[in-house]
Amino acid sequence: MKRKLSILLLSLLFMFAALFLAACSDDSDTDTSSEDDDATEENESDEPLTLTFFNADGEEKSFDDPVAQKITEETGIKLEMDYPVGGNDESIPLMIASGDYPDLIFAKGDIGKLIEAGGVIKLDELIEEKGDNLKELYGDQLDRLRNSIDDPSIYNVGTYGVEEARWETSGTFQVQLDVLRELGYPEIRTLDDFEDAITEYYEKYPEIDGQKTIPLSLLGSDWRWLITVGNPAGFAAGIPDDGQWAINDETGETTYKFLLPELKEYFKWLNGMNDKGLLDPESFTHTYDTYISKLSSGRVLSIADQSWNIGDADAALVADGKEWKTYAPLPVTINEEYKSQGLKDYGFAGGWGISISSTSEYQEEAFEFLDWMASEEAQILTNWGIEGENYDVVDGKRVLQEDDRERKNTDADYPKETGVGYYLYPFPQWGNGAVDSSGQPITPDSEQNIIDNFNEAEKEVVAEYGMENWTDWFPPEEDLGMSNHGAAANYTIESGSELEIIQQKADDLTEQRITQAVLGDPADFDASWDAMIEELEAMDIEKANELMTQKTLDVMELWGTK
Amino acid sequence: MSRINNAAESQPNLPESNSPLQTPVKPGFSSRKGKKRAPKPGNKGFFQRLSKQKALFLMSFPFVIWLIIFKYIPVAGWVMAFQDYKPQSGIFDQEWAGLKHFKDLFNEPMFYRALENTLGMGILGLVFGTLSAIVFALLLNEVRFLTLKKWTQTISYLPHFVSWVIVANIVITMLSPEGIINNLLVDTGILDKPLNFMAQPDMFWGVVTAADVWKETGWNAIIYLAAMAGVDPQLYEAAKVDGASRWRQMWHITLPSIRPVIIVLLILNIGNLINIGFEKQMLLGNNIVAEKALVIDLYALDYGIGMFRYSFGTAIGIFKSVISVILILICNGFAKRIGEGRVF
Repeated sequence: MKRKLSILLLSLLFMFAALFLAACSDDSDTDTSSEDDDATEENESDEPLTLTFFNADGEEKSFDDPVAQKITEETGIKLEMDYPVGGNDESIPLMIASGDYPDLIFAKGDIGKLIEAGGVIKLDELIEEKGDNLKELYGDQLDRLRNSIDDPSIYNVGTYGVEEARWETSGTFQVQLDVLRELGYPEIRTLDDFEDAITEYYEKYPEIDGQKTIPLSLLGSDWRWLITVGNPAGFAAGIPDDGQWAINDETGETTYKFLLPELKEYFKWLNGMNDKGLLDPESFTHTYDTYISKLSSGRVLSIADQSWNIGDADAALVADGKEWKTYAPLPVTINEEYKSQGLKDYGFAGGWGISISSTSEYQEEAFEFLDWMASEEAQILTNWGIEGENYDVVDGKRVLQEDDRERKNTDADYPKETGVGYYLYPFPQWGNGAVDSSGQPITPDSEQNIIDNFNEAEKEVVAEYGMENWTDWFPPEEDLGMSNHGAAANYTIESGSELEIIQQKADDLTEQRITQAVLGDPADFDASWDAMIEELEAMDIEKANELMTQKTLDVMELWGTK
Repeated sequence: MSRINNAAESQPNLPESNSPLQTPVKPGFSSRKGKKRAPKPGNKGFFQRLSKQKALFLMSFPFVIWLIIFKYIPVAGWVMAFQDYKPQSGIFDQEWAGLKHFKDLFNEPMFYRALENTLGMGILGLVFGTLSAIVFALLLNEVRFLTLKKWTQTISYLPHFVSWVIVANIVITMLSPEGIINNLLVDTGILDKPLNFMAQPDMFWGVVTAADVWKETGWNAIIYLAAMAGVDPQLYEAAKVDGASRWRQMWHITLPSIRPVIIVLLILNIGNLINIGFEKQMLLGNNIVAEKALVIDLYALDYGIGMFRYSFGTAIGIFKSVISVILILICNGFAKRIGEGRVF
């Protein structure tokens, strides 16, 4: 027995030792390999220079598709792309704590932390000296890249197109095309219209393909709560998308949006939907994968989501021949008084972008690379791909090849595999409204292309309504005016500041309380809502409103829009 | 044998559950030490003993070094909790903040909620984790058909190697309104309509504990099985002669024999009560149960390092360490009083 025990212990011990050693050797392996890379770069000047690039919105991908190879050929630069694993928010703070920065960083809202830590360099002089392409691209919008009124330097470039036309929008809700067809193409403008439509269809078809029909599904179990629960509430109330804030564009007065009575009205309606069994009971617990698979099955009648979030489901539906189960964006608001802000022009948002780290050995090269990405040549390459392979020039005009066009519409992996369209966001981009030196649109996503790319069902529905594009039933851009403050989501908020802490607490609270109120008994809704407002006031939300108002005013002053 | 035991003994606090390794070894080691006692007392005796055991010291040396480098030196970072730490300047070049971060922490209602959840889920996990592992080990120990026993054991500890990400997805899918558990409950008439388990804040602690028990029971049972294997077979034979049934043998021989192991493991686990991590809670949680899923580590992540508040995060870390040390001291004292195996 003793012997047996010792053998067991010996084997356990051996196992831990093996694990321990394995862990160690792993580390050393990666270390040596990266050193090797460095060594080869320095020794052979013909080899492309490898720049490390952290993309906060990135994914697992190597820089070896045809477009990437072409970029390397033109610039002599290869990118080694890193991304936050599992949507981890802590990458940037950890990067700062270790002092180990990649050459290029797309930090999104964490840029403020990098600036504070001295992790990124000012680009003003570089732009002045050799940023010809960038200067031409941004023109008088260059001010919008500036950091703050106290530190008006430029730390990053890129992310959004400078000349963006709004030919596509996701609306407040998206509804299955089949619902519209079945009901004889009704007009859906208000929450009541919307509810009536899906109720009628649901009663007709309680099951789709043998599975229970889901009238409305949301995804409120993770950060997408903000996308599918928080944002649609604001859209329904005719508030432009400023994240968790409602901003008066004239006065700059900013309010935490869940304090507004309109929002309460929306959630009260949602609470009613839940009570009537029209809301997917798993809306706040299922994972993203489950949600997408439900949508892909074609049994979800409507969603309150953005098209970029459901791309996989859309492609799967088209691939399965279920085109009538794809979605149409609706300009729904609480009632006729509010205007859907689906086509709101926020102007070039500035704010976020790609920065160059202060520890990079190749700052000049990195900047030249970014500047090249803003050139006409680069924009054509990244938007259209390679001439002769992805597009042809017919009568002096660029036309996507048929199979590329097909894949672009149906295959969610197309950008990732071919690189076409993959290197636009978050790099500097001209935007889909821009034209090149010969007067052609710089992106394949011109309005005509979007319309041409509608699936058969979409074409039929749009025609039935007597429209050309979905945007036609939204209040036009000109009516809504251009935002004077950009979008609050792009503001840089100092890390660890009072504003950040209060907002984080308020967001955590509202996500919970609103979810509970929506799922609760309608008789308790008012009481739970009032309790939430009280809790918000207790955490000094007024102070956050004041601080945020000041931020908006600063931005308007910096941009010269006030 | 004693060499191996010693190496195991001096291997301190490797992460995960290897610390239980110390336990079955303890009695053997001390008795051996007794035998080796040098005849002459005093300094000479000490060095003689030292040189006799030099192989043992050499073997433990790397682990002591490891402990110092990875466990003691980082404690110097605690100084951050008393500063307004900014990473761009060095650790000596900071503004001092005194106890500000601790005051912020203790004035924060969210922190108390996190503490309550951490201790709640910690205690549930400890109680059910220990009970299930002991019961499982006892049952497995009674299986006489060796192949079956080995298979069962292997299968039962496999979930330990499955990542929490996957386990959480399995649990959420099984417990969803259209999941297998609800189908079973509705079909057998226990429930009228499906219950969305993941949307019940009051059930969240239970779900986490159940998932934890499912995942770790087999693994935790290994150490108890090892201890049971060390029980002298003569005791069982004597009991059989006296007419004790299998149940009696379990109750009067197996359990008392492994009691020291249980107590030592319990003490170590209680010390870790507050270090329950956050993976389970983060992966299983959602906005409805968020209030019950907020644990200290998650709070430290979201409101500490996630907001760049290194000092605040460090203050939370110090608080956790202090609580751990207090818990261990209390339990160890208790074990000492009742005269059972203890850690130190």
